[in-house]
Amino acid sequence: MAIGSATNSALERTSGAFPSLVLVQGQEQRSLVLDHSPFSIGRKIDKDLVIADPRVSRDHALILSEEGGFYIRDEGSKHGTFVNGQRVERQKLARNDRLEFGARDGTYVIFHPASASSNTAREFLSQIAGLEISTDTTDLEKLTMFLDAARKLNTTGVLDEILVTVADTTLKLTRAERAYVFLKEEDGSLRLAAGRNSKGEALIDDTTISHSILEEALHSASEFLVTDTSQSLDLAGRHSIVAYDLRTVICIPLRKPQVQAARRDTPIAAPPAESGAEIIGALYIDSRFASRDISSVSNDILRAIATEAAQLVENARLVQAEEAARRYQQELAIASSIQQKLMEVHIPEVPFARMSGRNLQCKEIGGDFYDAVSTEDHFAVFLVDVCGKGVSAALLASTLQGMVYSHLAARMPLAESVAAVNRFFTQKHLGEKYATMVIARISRDGELEYVNCGHVPPLLVSNQTVVRPEAGNLPVGLLADANYESSRLQLRRGDRFLVVTDGVTEAENARGDFYENERLEVVAARSLSLEEIFTSLASFCGGTPLNDDCTVVELVYTGIA
Amino acid sequence: MSLKMESKTTGGVTVVRCIGRIVFGEEASALRSTLKTILSTSKKILLDLSDVSYIDSGGLGTLVGVYSSARAAGADIKLTGLGQRVRDVLQITKLVTVFEVYDSEQKALAAFQ
Repeated sequence: MAIGSATNSALERTSGAFPSLVLVQGQEQRSLVLDHSPFSIGRKIDKDLVIADPRVSRDHALILSEEGGFYIRDEGSKHGTFVNGQRVERQKLARNDRLEFGARDGTYVIFHPASASSNTAREFLSQIAGLEISTDTTDLEKLTMFLDAARKLNTTGVLDEILVTVADTTLKLTRAERAYVFLKEEDGSLRLAAGRNSKGEALIDDTTISHSILEEALHSASEFLVTDTSQSLDLAGRHSIVAYDLRTVICIPLRKPQVQAARRDTPIAAPPAESGAEIIGALYIDSRFASRDISSVSNDILRAIATEAAQLVENARLVQAEEAARRYQQELAIASSIQQKLMEVHIPEVPFARMSGRNLQCKEIGGDFYDAVSTEDHFAVFLVDVCGKGVSAALLASTLQGMVYSHLAARMPLAESVAAVNRFFTQKHLGEKYATMVIARISRDGELEYVNCGHVPPLLVSNQTVVRPEAGNLPVGLLADANYESSRLQLRRGDRFLVVTDGVTEAENARGDFYENERLEVVAARSLSLEEIFTSLASFCGGTPLNDDCTVVELVYTGIA
Repeated sequence: MSLKMESKTTGGVTVVRCIGRIVFGEEASALRSTLKTILSTSKKILLDLSDVSYIDSGGLGTLVGVYSSARAAGADIKLTGLGQRVRDVLQITKLVTVFEVYDSEQKALAAFQ
């Protein structure tokens, strides 16, 4: 085996299965895959790439795959198509070409940019692409080479590159003309994932292959299917075989590997893939009459390709799934930080009242939150407990917060605001999702208006005595026709209005007792800070973990100076 | 699962006795599906909550959800046997004003007639 001059020509053209387009719009960048031809560009909504700029024509240009290359063709656009600043009618595209449509100062597209990242996989792949196999290489050597490639690649996660390498390596090993890798989709259909010819060019069209043989291979129990059309009369009449002059077609179903570890040490004597194993894709290779005969390719090679390619594809899929999960986690983390920013409380300062609040989260994202809004003569606070936990509760909490906040900022009457929020949520049919809340709004002269929607009754602490106004309404989001009424209290200087969530009153100790209202009232009457309430709560619970979020909000009327 | 349900029919009313906790998760789902099944054949349901030790916010949501859809379908659900905990929860959330609550099974059954 000799590694010949590393021309890398194939790799330079396409590193993935298909070339990419990078769309640059201001600070934004988006990658598209050129996986079919023609690829349309224009202002019309049905284009593959829609650019919403009036200077872009509705049917602006096409990218076509022809003669093993890619061409851009202007479709008679009004303001022209530009490649690297030159207006063109039709031009072959090269890597890193800058394409512009109509406007020269806006959105542009980079054709198949060379990736900045150069990892070991990429380097290794470039070696593979440059491999030349001398004709006297024995089958065993070829096999060893293939297995070596397979092993090294097993550690990488670049599915497209792996598939292209599978196709390329298969072509080198079998000396066939074309190789296609198909992957099975969730719905059971086969999707063309990579296609290459012996010149190292990407093939993105599978209409010229024999789909009937592909289907046959998938349904047969054998490891591979070699079809020599010159030997088989009943095949000679099939459409694709006649139309495209196909001589030899080899089809290798890729089956989900059953045992991964055991086979590693004895690659050559690999047991045949179990015919019952799940099919995850197929490798299709063919040659035309005009080309060389590949029907005599060694069965050992085909068997090795069958097992190793399946292993590769499966591993690549696993890595890809992992990557998808990682990205999903990242998205969630971003969502969570946005949520936290939204929920961050900026307490406005007003001369006649002050507010403090504290939240103790027990597990994941909880459903408790509070916020405050000040308007000219009023200061309003609200505490909400959304039923449930996690992302669904967080979503509901954010929406609720926005609605309540904007109603308060617009100085809407409290009962009306709550009724509007209730209507909104019941009309959306969120399915048993609701929230309890207290909204309180105090005016400069100490008059406090509040509305309690299914929440633990608030506490009014006045001169060390505690009053619990029982007035209440239904929770928000449960019943469409619920009525809401607000109540009023007159506060004196130093009076405190305390609102807690049921996580506080229902906090349990080791004996299963609840913290209850009574304990809260006692500590609220004598304490001057929220810290003391939490200290009392902690000493009550002992080591028993909380099973709900605990939130306490306090509004103190400080009077007019 | 910490919720069991037993049902019997008395004078055209299906009495469903709930035993355990009505909480978010499989308990609430079980309650929902059981009542849905009963509602397909019976328009009068009495929920006996004497042996329900706890209802959490999710369980409460389910109870109201089932109640609303029953009402919309022309059926009637009444409650009886509210323990202190359940009574407190319904009181705090003012849902006691929504449900028809009776002190005893007898009184509830009479109210259906």
